[in-house]
Amino acid sequence: MANKKYRGIERKQARWGFLFVLPSMLFFSLFNFYPIINAFYTSFFDKRALSKLAPKFVGLGNYERLFRLSTAANPLSFYNSLRATLVFTLGTFIPLLVLSLILAVFISNLSNNRAKKFLQISYYAPAVLSSVVAATIWMIIFDPRGLGNQWVNGLLHTPGVDRRWLVDPVMEQVSTMIIYFWKYIGYFVILFITGLASIPPTIYEAAIIDGANKNQTFWRITLPLLKPTVVLVSVMAMLQCLKTFSTQYMIYTNGAPRAPINVITFNIYVTGIQQQYLGRASAMSVVLFIMMMLLTLLQFKTTKSENVDY
Amino acid sequence: MQIQRNNILPKIITYLVLLIMLLFTLIPILFMITSSMMTSRQILRMPFNWIPEKFNWINFSKAIKGNDFNYIFLRNILNSLIVSTSVAITTVLLASLTGYGLAKFKFRGRNAVFMMIMGTMMIPFEAIMIPLYMVVMMLHIQNTYVGLILPFLVSAFGIFQMRQYLTTFPTEFLDAARVDGMGEFGIYAKIVLPNCKPVIATLSILAFRSQWDNLLWPLLVSQSEKMKTIPQYISAFAEERSTDEGAMMAAALLASLPMFILFMSLTKYFIGGSSVYESRKG
Repeated sequence: MANKKYRGIERKQARWGFLFVLPSMLFFSLFNFYPIINAFYTSFFDKRALSKLAPKFVGLGNYERLFRLSTAANPLSFYNSLRATLVFTLGTFIPLLVLSLILAVFISNLSNNRAKKFLQISYYAPAVLSSVVAATIWMIIFDPRGLGNQWVNGLLHTPGVDRRWLVDPVMEQVSTMIIYFWKYIGYFVILFITGLASIPPTIYEAAIIDGANKNQTFWRITLPLLKPTVVLVSVMAMLQCLKTFSTQYMIYTNGAPRAPINVITFNIYVTGIQQQYLGRASAMSVVLFIMMMLLTLLQFKTTKSENVDY
Repeated sequence: MQIQRNNILPKIITYLVLLIMLLFTLIPILFMITSSMMTSRQILRMPFNWIPEKFNWINFSKAIKGNDFNYIFLRNILNSLIVSTSVAITTVLLASLTGYGLAKFKFRGRNAVFMMIMGTMMIPFEAIMIPLYMVVMMLHIQNTYVGLILPFLVSAFGIFQMRQYLTTFPTEFLDAARVDGMGEFGIYAKIVLPNCKPVIATLSILAFRSQWDNLLWPLLVSQSEKMKTIPQYISAFAEERSTDEGAMMAAALLASLPMFILFMSLTKYFIGGSSVYESRKG
């Protein structure tokens, strides 16, 4: 009897629990799972937004078009988008990772707590600005007469040289990386400081008693124990960089050439929204999705196996 | 003596690196503030003079009047405030509800539900924006707040945070309330929600700023001037006024003020790590 009643409560509880998760389940089904399935589906059709004709089934035609080797030399091809995305991602996330780790270690080693706090807030300040504002500020700095040229020429003692920040294809990519790096460095510094703070001080005390110097404690204790954070931060930074859009969009709409910074997301936007080729844009979306899924799976796998217990 | 000499050089390097980085992060912000009061001529003068000669307030009036002198800036910043606030509210409500359900109730398929929600983290918005755009066209909700808000009602990350937080919430409280005859929904609204304040603050800030910063989705759904958001406004203004740097900077500064105020008053929720740090500084 008592058992039966207990089971009744349990069932009632189960119903409430299900009711509580139901709204989110509906949301994710409608606005995440349905769209991604739809993206796969649409990628097999030649679908135009404004066309009254029924979309034509083309099989893998859209993918074939994206990866057709004869288009590789075209400056606005999908190959170029993959290259632009890869260059941007590597060129941004490696400096972000290395420098944020160094800065976090330096800040954590400071003895003055107010200085620590001040530095964290200051490094973080650019992250508070929106990407559009960040791009606007830097576009003026990168003006031929702007501060960018003045600083670089002042440092290198080369008066009057224009670095062509937003004109030269290579410099244009470097400029987008600088803008992105500037916006996100503080965010990653904070992530690392949190990771460093979770290493118990007793381990360091033990190492110092054993006669380890600062160099040794960093390479033999800090870095190995920080490995989960390093993996987490690097995958997060990579995923962030793969999704970059606003910076490239802003720089392009202000007259810079498109080809060097035509990253995948930007290409999806132009192809799908401006040119209305929804099928082809969906194929690009699917490629982006697969790339990011592989990275995320890698993150799940590594964070699971690399967890450190104290 | 020798130990001291060894310690000085690394210290100098540390301070130098930290200082250079400090200049790198702060100077562009100072540049935005000071050049918002300058004429274009002063901004692009070589060498640059950091102190404005006089307060050039016309930059701000240009920024607010906009390209067509119809004060659309005010409407656009209001749109951004409405969208960001709504998304923050729905995120907190839905994430806490779902997180509570996942943390404190046992039901069949609970783990499957949790894995499914975590799985959506693998679906980047940029990969589903084209199908979402088609949905919006089908429902005829382009140029509406609903269209701007709908794809962002809740985030998997928010649910994850809430669930983690609520797993450690003492179940005895909940059972005590049940014995007292409180309904399940009442328990959620009156006991669980008020006890999640730190997570609520973190999550709502996160949701708010992600929409404040969102350019891509409004670009797809808001084509009419009236329904544009502030990133779209800045982008269009910068495009049209590309030679009027002072007005561009004034617009950028005005658009950043709400976030700056939020950051200054709620710093510890922005920089979650520092609070962790402070509790272990001994």
